[in-house]
Amino acid sequence: MKIHDLATLKKLRAAGLAKLMPTKQIRIAVGMGTCGLGTGAGEVYKAFESELKAKKVSALLTRTGCFGFCAQEPLVNIRLPGQPLVILSKVAPASVPKLVKALVKGEILRDDALCRIEDWEHLTMETVRYGKGMKDIPLWNEIPFFKWQKKIVLRDCGLINPDDVEEYLAVGGYGALFAALRGTPEAVLEQIKLSGLRGRGGAGFPVWRKWELMKRETAGPKYIICNADEGDPGAYMNRNEIESDPHMLIEGMIAGAYAMGAAEGILYVRAEYPLAVERLRQAIGTARELGILGKGILGSDFDFDLHMVEGAGAFVCGEETALIASIEGKAGRPRTRPPFPAQKGLWGKPTNINNVETWCNIPAILARGGAWFTGTGTATSSGTKVFSLVGKVKNTGLVELPLGETLSTLVYKIGGGAPAGKEVKAVQSGGPSGGCIPTTLFSTPIEYESLQALGAIMGSGGMVVMDQDNCMVDVARYFLEFTTSESCGKCVPCREGLNQILRILKAITEGRGEPADLDRLEHLGRVIRDTALCGLGQTGPNPVLTTLKYFRTEYEQHIKDKRCAAGECQALFRAPCENSCPLHMNIPGYLQLLKENRMQDAFELVIRDNPLPATTGRICRYHCKVRCRRADADEPVAQGEVHRYIADYAYNTGLSEAVHEKLLAERLPATGRKIAVVGAGPAGVTAAYYLARLGHAVTIYDANEGPGGIVRGTIPEYRLPRAILEREIGFIKRFGVKFKYHTRIGKDVQLARLEKEYDAVFVAIGAQDSTSMDIPGIDLRGVMPGVEFLEEVARDRRPNIGKQICVIGAGNVAIDAARTARRLGAQVHVIYRRERADMPAHDEEVNEAEREGVKFSFLSAPKSVVGKKGAVTGLEIERMVPGDVDSSGRRTPVPSGETEIVPCETVMLAIGERVNAAFLKPLGITVRLNGTIDTHPLTLQTSHPKVYAGGDAVMGPSTASEAMAFGKKFAEVIDRQMMDGQSRFPQLFREIPYSRDVPAVPQSGGKRPLRELPVAARRGNFWEISSGLSEKNARAEARRCLRCDVK
Amino acid sequence: MKASSPASSMMTPTLMDLVIKKHQGKPGELLGILEELQNRHPHKYLPAETLEYVAEKSGLPVSQVYSVATFYAFFNLKPQGEHTLVVCRGTACHTRGSKSLLASLKKILNLKEEEGAEKIFLTTADKKFTIKTVACFGQCAMAPVVEVDGKMHSHVTEMKLKGLIDALVKGEKKK
Repeated sequence: MKIHDLATLKKLRAAGLAKLMPTKQIRIAVGMGTCGLGTGAGEVYKAFESELKAKKVSALLTRTGCFGFCAQEPLVNIRLPGQPLVILSKVAPASVPKLVKALVKGEILRDDALCRIEDWEHLTMETVRYGKGMKDIPLWNEIPFFKWQKKIVLRDCGLINPDDVEEYLAVGGYGALFAALRGTPEAVLEQIKLSGLRGRGGAGFPVWRKWELMKRETAGPKYIICNADEGDPGAYMNRNEIESDPHMLIEGMIAGAYAMGAAEGILYVRAEYPLAVERLRQAIGTARELGILGKGILGSDFDFDLHMVEGAGAFVCGEETALIASIEGKAGRPRTRPPFPAQKGLWGKPTNINNVETWCNIPAILARGGAWFTGTGTATSSGTKVFSLVGKVKNTGLVELPLGETLSTLVYKIGGGAPAGKEVKAVQSGGPSGGCIPTTLFSTPIEYESLQALGAIMGSGGMVVMDQDNCMVDVARYFLEFTTSESCGKCVPCREGLNQILRILKAITEGRGEPADLDRLEHLGRVIRDTALCGLGQTGPNPVLTTLKYFRTEYEQHIKDKRCAAGECQALFRAPCENSCPLHMNIPGYLQLLKENRMQDAFELVIRDNPLPATTGRICRYHCKVRCRRADADEPVAQGEVHRYIADYAYNTGLSEAVHEKLLAERLPATGRKIAVVGAGPAGVTAAYYLARLGHAVTIYDANEGPGGIVRGTIPEYRLPRAILEREIGFIKRFGVKFKYHTRIGKDVQLARLEKEYDAVFVAIGAQDSTSMDIPGIDLRGVMPGVEFLEEVARDRRPNIGKQICVIGAGNVAIDAARTARRLGAQVHVIYRRERADMPAHDEEVNEAEREGVKFSFLSAPKSVVGKKGAVTGLEIERMVPGDVDSSGRRTPVPSGETEIVPCETVMLAIGERVNAAFLKPLGITVRLNGTIDTHPLTLQTSHPKVYAGGDAVMGPSTASEAMAFGKKFAEVIDRQMMDGQSRFPQLFREIPYSRDVPAVPQSGGKRPLRELPVAARRGNFWEISSGLSEKNARAEARRCLRCDVK
Repeated sequence: MKASSPASSMMTPTLMDLVIKKHQGKPGELLGILEELQNRHPHKYLPAETLEYVAEKSGLPVSQVYSVATFYAFFNLKPQGEHTLVVCRGTACHTRGSKSLLASLKKILNLKEEEGAEKIFLTTADKKFTIKTVACFGQCAMAPVVEVDGKMHSHVTEMKLKGLIDALVKGEKKK
């Protein structure tokens, strides 16, 4: 049957509509794009097929493309007659019987329900009304992933069966073309011009101008080409557009051909997309049968046909002249322009090339008019763009956004930010031709020009999110490996230049970089950009240039420190755990030594890297376990617990003494250099430990009565007995380090005096000032900072806090205060404005607090402190509801208006601590807005040449080991500087040989338990809860190690 | 299973003629011919004789056919093993650790990469396994992905990979 008139078109439309919205039958459509199929959609389809058959259920089972939310695949949409369309997510074959059972009863199970659609705009027809009801399931555009989207290109994707042209016709498909063919080509061109549509393949050239150039050419035959060779790694919108709605592409191309007077079209599709190729092949066949392609299209006198060419994998074919060469049967090498393809293209004839998504916009523009299209997007970038939001982001998938939306909306509100516990670092936009944009620039609107201004491009719409575990130098190297291997080799700047960039990047990532490399990279990049023949070469340096611009420190760390903080450059670290440990402890080493039962060696290895192993082994957040490869199999190795075990063992058996003696004996001769350290916290004492061993004279000043800083002052005894801390710091004293207590710099001693008397000053103060809140009643008696409370208790005082207390906050201070108050016999209520999973405190600490009877109110924000006669009687809290995801990757709490009063006698504030570095002002040292000290990231030098800073003072509240790492780093830097560039620091360490055999069968099973005090025994005392791993379990943990250090 | 003899891996001239004829005169003729011939070859590659035959039949210089066959990543000039594992090296997969997956895969199958090779095509000595990379499968939301004998596997970890290979080896033993 051929469609020659409106009556036939309408007849087929009606047939399609009967399938899309059956009046009596249930419709079940399984999303079967490549992403759905890759997560088991095929099995889900089969499960439905057999279950429906077995239960004799009359339902229309069909398949659709992808609705875009790939992270939630397999997606299935189900509609009961007259009711909304319900989209189910992550459907497993196992849940199909339950679903069918409910369907028979006229119900849709809510377990997997993601959202519902009541009305839908296919744009090419009037609104489709599925039905109203099921209010308990959110509307599709109420859920964060879809809320900001506008589906113009993806108007049918995931809703219609891509293999059934009748369903495409049902949603108004080919209607716009039918009408257009009955008007003039000029009229089509006019609408495209009005729309302001720009090419969606990368460069963003106005479509109408390209079309008009082509239209003017008279020498035929003329060709149009669809570039569906989506070669940009990280972008897959074209695949999905073809797989889900191939006819919209065909319709767009026919309309374009009509406007430009082309008689033949070519679809150049990647062979790596077999499903897209197949669906397109079938769609072309169907279109021919229906008279949509071929002679006299849709009853008009316009002839046009389409052919498909399978591209064989060459990125350079994104360049139009290269793509043309490829179709002609040659290697895809570009040539100089002019002549432009519009004059001399395929076989020397006028040719127009547009990207898939560009063509897909055409039917919607023709159906609604060019002016309508400009209602979306910005003045210079109209319409939408489909982005593939992938990489380190929770909600991956295809996102169609109006142009002009910000990167922040895309990454946080839609994407939900980085996976739990990680932080987004950058987004890579535009693939190998694009660039890495740091989070500080996420307020940038996504438009052609604005992204270009940042050194990136919109490109085909790949948006790859990177987090803290992605190394920016490695990213640059990755792209350069790609462009170097994809360079066609025709022009020298690209072929040789990109290779030279890659050579330098390789050297940097392998620890062979030199400082001058950075200038070389920039120079090379600029030259290649300005001189390469085609887009591939001209944009090839972008990934290097943008990472150099926005992440220069990372390059410098690779070159100067030979460190890759992200842990990707294999040559620069021993093992992922060692690299994640701020102190770079040789973790595989001490685990192996424990296995070999060489306890003294194990302790020696540990204490050379970390002077406080028993302390940190109790309180560390264990950065090491975050990257442990063992987590892939079951749970990370308890690396920190093991060094605690080793240290405890050494102290308890006296084995430590031999090692201590050895290190004392190794102390380098006195240098005569004097260093003042401000603050006897973890950063300060660590600096002193290494500096004293290097032979320098160190004096530590501290305002308190003993060493340890915040660790001493606020960490309760039940987590860290003070005797342990004092014992470990006691060893540092034995190197002759002088401690001056009760001495506050700026009050008791001026910084200027230290600066004069010493060769260098290291400011290592902690973040000890509690942040206050601006709410009514905050000045009432009974409101106190949690830190102050903990300090009092640590001094063995018992402040009168009453029977009921509220703690505001969710960090470790809040939890420590809550558990401490609980031990003093109070009823404790922790108030937090966000959700439980958002708490910054250690998860284990929160669990323990709950076990000890601490109550938690989440999504509750303090509104006022209420009181009588000047004293606290309660805390008014307001219930919050989770809003959009913010830049911390957590949902913003939004006030609900609902309040209540929690009765209490004490309110403890623990919403954060700040650094107070006011004493630096007399020397004019630069302090940042948040109170921290501005230092050079590699040298730790402040704006004053003799003053350095580290730890909380620079980072804000950080972990003990992070702070200690600053101390260690400072010792290394200042020693080299004071000792005329000599590298003496490595002398403080020793290679202790141990077996490098990777265990054939590592110890099986998850993390071994700790010996802990039962909850009932914790009331009314501060006994240490955990006595660590038993010997058996410590050894088992060591055997669980996979030995990533052996490469 | 016996390794296939050279005779059975050769394609008959009749078959090749049919394929050449099917694509002749169409846009992208040469790509189409080579793609189909490769797909029809039991070891999914283009032997030198095939390239020569195509050149002769389509009246093109052998140099041009060779140039095309070596320019595009899709074409293999070496036979593939019985099982092919394709590791996606797209950006999303890279950020999610496909490089170390590839390294583990090489380690598991005891394959050594030739120095400086950017595109990887390695076959085990017993011709059982070939590992390859692809620029991007467009399965970015499921990264990292690995295709095993044509089936796509999502969110692959080192453990999953070991499981997949074990399953293939077990399957081999059953035969």
